[in-house]
Amino acid sequence: MTASTASSDTSAVRAPGPRSIVGRRRLTSRRMVDVVSHGYIWLCLFVFVTPFLALLAYSFTGPGGTYAIENFQYVLGSFGENLWWSLRISGLSIAIDLAIALPAAYAIVRYPVPGKRLIFSVLSLPLYVPGAVIGLSLVITYNFTYHLTTSMWGLVFGMVVGTFPLMLTPIIVALKDLPIAFEEAAECLGASRWTTFWRIVFPLIGPGVSAGLMLAFIIVFNEYLVTLFVHPSEITTAPLRIFNLVRTAGLLPTTAALAVTMQLISFASVLLFFRVFGTRYFKGTYLI
Amino acid sequence: MSTVRLESITKHYGQTVAVDGLSLDVADGEFVTLLGPSGCGKTTTLRMVAGLIEPTDGRIFFDDQDVTDIPPRKRNIGFVFQTPALFPHLSVADNIGFGLSVKGISKAAIAARVDEMLAMVGLASYGRRLPAQLSGGQQQRVALARVLATDPRVLLFDEPLSALDKNLRDSLKYSILELQRRTGKTAIYVTHDQSEAFAISDRIVVMNAGRIEQIGTQTDIYLHPRTPYVAEFIGANNGLPGTVTGREGDGDDARILVQAGTRELRCRGRDEFGAGEAVIAYVRPEDIEILDGASDRQFENVLEGTIDRVIFEGPTAQLRVEVDGRELRVDVSGNQRLTLMQRDGRVRLGFDAVTLIAAPVPA
Repeated sequence: MTASTASSDTSAVRAPGPRSIVGRRRLTSRRMVDVVSHGYIWLCLFVFVTPFLALLAYSFTGPGGTYAIENFQYVLGSFGENLWWSLRISGLSIAIDLAIALPAAYAIVRYPVPGKRLIFSVLSLPLYVPGAVIGLSLVITYNFTYHLTTSMWGLVFGMVVGTFPLMLTPIIVALKDLPIAFEEAAECLGASRWTTFWRIVFPLIGPGVSAGLMLAFIIVFNEYLVTLFVHPSEITTAPLRIFNLVRTAGLLPTTAALAVTMQLISFASVLLFFRVFGTRYFKGTYLI
Repeated sequence: MSTVRLESITKHYGQTVAVDGLSLDVADGEFVTLLGPSGCGKTTTLRMVAGLIEPTDGRIFFDDQDVTDIPPRKRNIGFVFQTPALFPHLSVADNIGFGLSVKGISKAAIAARVDEMLAMVGLASYGRRLPAQLSGGQQQRVALARVLATDPRVLLFDEPLSALDKNLRDSLKYSILELQRRTGKTAIYVTHDQSEAFAISDRIVVMNAGRIEQIGTQTDIYLHPRTPYVAEFIGANNGLPGTVTGREGDGDDARILVQAGTRELRCRGRDEFGAGEAVIAYVRPEDIEILDGASDRQFENVLEGTIDRVIFEGPTAQLRVEVDGRELRVDVSGNQRLTLMQRDGRVRLGFDAVTLIAAPVPA
């Protein structure tokens, strides 16, 4: 936008004389570029958003093609339990993720651990391994060693394994960006390491921690493949329910409504993240 | 308040020796500056006093207490960093009160102390602001208040002004000195800036390559440099290498004779040198006078040379004079700097023996 205003200003100055034609021609070509690039962005958005819009529209269709809000009431009634399981599993998983990732990231960044890079690569492995492979390895591990297949904790553990690097990486980045002078200043003022960590370091790596929480939450909340492998028979999470329903009953408007609900929860958590941490919290953080 | 004693402390990083057997005594309430170029080990030394770095060898004492193995949080020190390092998520008041709050002091007592400290650094109404809402100079003053709030035994400064602009540096260095004087705290200050060191120190420790070159007052360091390094590092200096040929006179009139090339120079005779010893004789640019013939003053050392360049610098002019293939710098002021602008060719330079200092060439 600024580019086009700038060029129109120059053409106004050059108005008299033969040069103005050149100016105008340049102006039109600028405008063309503007129109084309804006059009391209809108086209991309349209292409990406269309499936979701289609799903949204479909979730509102009643029997015989009528408009039906009942689908969403049905979601809370019949799928309430599935959503509740999804939320519980996600909450527990990200809490455990955080409890492991905080000390791990601190040790990796602040202490001279030999083979740092190798450790970090191994820890990031779940990011590059397909869900089916993780699921299969978990099943084998559980059956032959821990017999965790019958409890919720087996599922939570599986989720932690899959999402741990998503929590670790942003915390490592945030810690690396945090000048060590803050910790040294706190220590010279008489604070113990524990106090320094909770009162100084943790608030200052808040953006990294929250990014990790958001990423891990969205992945766990929407995960169905690993869940398929390790879920106990009495636990069905929302994504698993959608998968099962589509497989057995085809795509019903009520299933679409459940899918839309899940999408809204994920979307809301992203919005919340950018609202709280993406803007205000980043500014004024470590400004030295 | 306490004395600080370093007993031959050494720090190795692998093969690199950062600090090499450094010993130093700082008196109670004294303001000592470690001065040297970057990489000379001054910051490493300071961080060892704070306990942020463990020495490879040697002991550190506060009064008679050996603090070498005590962690920083128990040393009761005030460390001011190069950056203010104020906790960005805490208000100015909470920053200043941090050191007291971790010691479990009551909120009312902390609030009173914080107000006292804010008033002391002249930021009385700033308690509620966040550090990001302060200027660089104000932030560093809050950092100062933060360390003073805990009533530390020793104040340690690691180039606290280097991130600020020049005017601010000038005013803040006197604030630091004034606060140190008022609180009577022992202070160790690290800087690479000579004018800063000269402005605020009781004593200056000139460091080079992990060792102490010279410890002394401003005048000691400037007028009586003990080594060629100090002579060349502090201010501008002209070095004339030569060999000691003899000695004459006593007391203030004692002179050391140095053969520099074809000339014999007469140096101040305070130091002991044996005949045949290799020395460098140093004379400051401001101690050399241009002899224009009209002057009837006699100088003990007179050299002849050719003016190479005149650099007008405002209050002074810098002359580059070539003497026997060696370029000497002469600073002139007053009317002479204007008349010399139009002159080139040969000049005679005169300087007294008391301004020519011989320093031993390091082995």
